[in-house]
Amino acid sequence: MEQPKERELKTLNFLLLLLAVAAVGVAGWTLVADEFKAGTDDLFLILVCLLLALLFAISPLMWARSKGLLHNPFALGEEDLAVEGHGDELLAHEEHGGSDRQNTWIWGVLLGLTGFEVFLAYVQLNLTLMLIILMGASIIKAALIVAYFMHLKFERLTLVLTIVPTLVVLFCLFAIFFPDSSRAHNLRQPIMRGSQEVVQEGK
Amino acid sequence: MLEVRADALPANDWSGGTHPYRISHRKLGMWLFIMSDSLTFGALLIVYSYARFSSENWPTPFPFYPSIIFSSSMTLVLLSSSLTMVYAVSAAKRRDKRKARRWLLATMFFGGTFIVLHMIEWLRLINEGLSPSRLPAEWATKWPGASAHFGSAFFGITGLHMFHVFTGLCYLGFIAARIRKFSADDVEVSGLYWHFVDLVWMFVFPLIYLLSVDFHP
Repeated sequence: MEQPKERELKTLNFLLLLLAVAAVGVAGWTLVADEFKAGTDDLFLILVCLLLALLFAISPLMWARSKGLLHNPFALGEEDLAVEGHGDELLAHEEHGGSDRQNTWIWGVLLGLTGFEVFLAYVQLNLTLMLIILMGASIIKAALIVAYFMHLKFERLTLVLTIVPTLVVLFCLFAIFFPDSSRAHNLRQPIMRGSQEVVQEGK
Repeated sequence: MLEVRADALPANDWSGGTHPYRISHRKLGMWLFIMSDSLTFGALLIVYSYARFSSENWPTPFPFYPSIIFSSSMTLVLLSSSLTMVYAVSAAKRRDKRKARRWLLATMFFGGTFIVLHMIEWLRLINEGLSPSRLPAEWATKWPGASAHFGSAFFGITGLHMFHVFTGLCYLGFIAARIRKFSADDVEVSGLYWHFVDLVWMFVFPLIYLLSVDFHP
């Protein structure tokens, strides 16, 4: 009975690896294509392709790790090989986690990042640069809250791998739609305002 | 086939009868809800970004004083509420229900402060003439041809977030009132919801407020 399962697992992981390679291939093809202009469209497409490749590669990499094909810096603890018990024992692992002092320190870092963001708003930066820096800082803040306050750093890796890809895909959605909005902006017709015609600025 | 004792086998997650995530069903349910709700807020923020960057002109009506100061205070208040929530969960795990209740009440206090500050900000904009369907008349001179989507985007996103904060307050109040009957896991699950509310604000604050500062009020 075990052999068909193993074969299934191998086939599935091979397909996922193919998809990951295909995603990297699309990113590479975008880079070498004649039409590559290093504009926001191209860069976002490359970013999204690389992120998708990473997501597809998770299961094959995990399988390779379990077969000992990869060096594993995050060694599996004894508890992962133990037989499961009652519900109460499930929660035993939660005794470890961030201390109050560590959480207070994380809170301080979050305040610092927020202060940095407000300072950036005070200094009048270019809108696109502001957006990139603010999104980057927000993602760092979100990661800190999810990892420490929501305790995800101390949960089992399976749960992390279930939750994090959702958020990554969400960011990919943002990255996909964002260049389209600037294209929609460029497609606008000039409008008449009083006696003057407003001419669209080219991008 | 070799006979093996069941308790000598390593736990195989795919054979059933085990707990792949090793968390309670309530906690897993809350995580699934959080994932779906984050997609909801993500969709709203994506639409707001799209509408903003594809429109010809977009109002940036938040002067540093009072709007950015207010919203920064709201961020500080919400972050502090997250910290007190963490302390509440920590106290609940130590089986200190009295302290857990106190920290829950502190979290609710900060949450209530957030709502009050936000309502003040809303009333300021409503009194200026902003509604979900139209912009104030004076804004036509400052931002000619500006999209009326600003109103619906602002009230829609911040309103949904405020609704989540209010619901969170009710949820925490219920847990705090009947804390004797709830376990540490229940307090932690309510904490997950509260931290999610804070998490959403971490994205709403920069995208809606910090990118719309009015440098010439």
